[in-house]
Amino acid sequence: MKKTFIAAGVASLLSTSAMAETIGVSMALFDDNFLTVLRNGIQEQADAMDGVEVQIEDAQNDVARQLDQINNFVASGVDAIIVNPVDTSATEAMTAAAEAAGVPLVYVNRQPINVDTLPDNQAFVASNEEESGTLETIEICDILAEQGTDPAKIYVMMGELSNQAAVQRTQDIDDVIAAGNCKVEIQEIDRQTANWSRDQAQNLMTNWLSSGEEFHAVIANNDEMAIGAIQAMKAAGISMDDVVVGGIDATQDALAAMAAGDLDVTVFQNAAGQGGGALDAALKLSKGEDVDQKVYIPFELVTPDNMADYTSKN
Amino acid sequence: MADTTQGTGGLIYDKSKRAWPNEINIFIALILIIGVFEALGQILPYMQGQSFLFDTSGRFDSIFNEARLKIVILQVAIIGIIALGSTQVIISGGIDLSAGPLVGAAAMIVMSFAQTELVNGNPNPKAVFGLWAMDLPVIVPVLVGLAFGALIGAINGSLIAYTGIPPFIATLGMFLFARGISRWWTEGQPVSFPTEGFAALGSGMMPVFWFLALAVLFHVLLRYTLYGKRTYAIGSNEDAARMSGINVKRHKVLVYMIAAMLAAFAAVVLSSKNLTAQAGMGQFYELYAIAMAVIGGVSLTGGRGSIPGTVLGAMVFGVIQSGFTYVKLDAYYQLMAMGMIIVGAVVLDKWRQQRGAKMG
Repeated sequence: MKKTFIAAGVASLLSTSAMAETIGVSMALFDDNFLTVLRNGIQEQADAMDGVEVQIEDAQNDVARQLDQINNFVASGVDAIIVNPVDTSATEAMTAAAEAAGVPLVYVNRQPINVDTLPDNQAFVASNEEESGTLETIEICDILAEQGTDPAKIYVMMGELSNQAAVQRTQDIDDVIAAGNCKVEIQEIDRQTANWSRDQAQNLMTNWLSSGEEFHAVIANNDEMAIGAIQAMKAAGISMDDVVVGGIDATQDALAAMAAGDLDVTVFQNAAGQGGGALDAALKLSKGEDVDQKVYIPFELVTPDNMADYTSKN
Repeated sequence: MADTTQGTGGLIYDKSKRAWPNEINIFIALILIIGVFEALGQILPYMQGQSFLFDTSGRFDSIFNEARLKIVILQVAIIGIIALGSTQVIISGGIDLSAGPLVGAAAMIVMSFAQTELVNGNPNPKAVFGLWAMDLPVIVPVLVGLAFGALIGAINGSLIAYTGIPPFIATLGMFLFARGISRWWTEGQPVSFPTEGFAALGSGMMPVFWFLALAVLFHVLLRYTLYGKRTYAIGSNEDAARMSGINVKRHKVLVYMIAAMLAAFAAVVLSSKNLTAQAGMGQFYELYAIAMAVIGGVSLTGGRGSIPGTVLGAMVFGVIQSGFTYVKLDAYYQLMAMGMIIVGAVVLDKWRQQRGAKMG
């Protein structure tokens, strides 16, 4: 009698877990603003669907922990895995682990190094970082040209140097200039990293200002650093009408800075769109449907003219 | 001055054993580092003979480049506030690894009580609580932060004093726990748009004011009061301190509470300066704070060190950080150089101490 109850209980447990699609998600880092929007994008889309459960884990910027999480997902029999890689060059092992177990895998936001050799049931959903820095730089060039500032002296603030987006966004600046797509002649005074951080950017900008060199624009790899630069310049009594400042991400704080006339350019990366896109791809793959191996969600340029459209997006 | 830098636990300082106080050495090191950057400014061809510390282009009324003087100390003021607490903990023979994550958690909590209702005429897009928590007087977030700090410090101190687990383990546990709090508070979302009153706490050179004012306060407390004498005594020889009638356990709790409240106050200043609180704030701050204290001559074995030493240790950090940008040192090399300088400073200090001991 007892045994039948237990058997029935086990059977019912099995059947409920088989009915719902379970997606394991390993995020590189929970306390990153942008990745939080992306994570919420996955969660909200899953909540809106029937029979989709997501289990989201924090890899805490630790490559080894992330691989363990993926193996744990495989062991607990999830239907598909979404990975936001900690280190984009450490993805081979993750691909191999999922492939060996036959579990579909979707990389989101950060481009894995093996993106061109992914097996059929794996995909990559992100925005193309070649667009972000390019949109930002060209718009800043256009503003400088309109002002008649030629040649223009600039500072470049880079994100964390171990991060692909920081490297690519900085490369975009160089590419725009090298390809002659900038309407004015750019003279770069210095480029340094502020590790995506507003506080470090404040310190860096103040250090630059203390050298007293004349400059016309600050191109930052993200909005937090652009805001830090703005705060430092304002503290030093520099009018924000005289300096062109650009960032990337279109965060709420950045849009407020833009509304106040301080920030001139930012670029919107659709974090929630990427999260939702990754979940869609994962669900399709788990059902055996075909998915494009590279799904790109476009970047969008944000200026004071169109910023009202973005106030509720990030 | 000389007899104050030694945590002798009530013993009389023997002048023959040390030629001059430790602070003088750090000050000389500071001048030497500035000298190196000045020289680099002259030697490196791309620097075009710029000066690190002096005003060569007539931008300021004084002979100094005032902007440089300001940033050198401004960029270390907030971690410096934490270092004041780390100094006291280390002098008492302990260590506090939880300060950095505590800054993150305290910043999130503090900023939630410092938000303004309207941003550019629109409702605050980052509001954590309802309208009741909007536009509160500035004292509310500050007190909330200090109370949170006191609570965390009391937990740290009680764990160490009453369960007897090593401070490294107790505060490592709090390191993880506090970072958890900072992420859980808003599920990772940043908290932004504070009231004007709150923003004034950390604007301009205010962080430096808080740093120096608190440094003076705790220098006086450590040097002239029973609190200070007990802290040094416990760090020098805990058993002797206990036998001489000091309530060691209660005093340890007090020291950790003070350190955590200083870290929480640093969070107030940091979030005010940046006009935002983010769950990842304060990363590595505990390590930089400990490094500042150690460069400033605070001994990790306890009983030795001073607040003025730590302030100078912080200045060394500020000069190096500013100097790197000044000579446009490639970002890749900056951390390597920083690591070598920290270890080098402590090695030098150790040699100097051993020589001093032999001389006696």
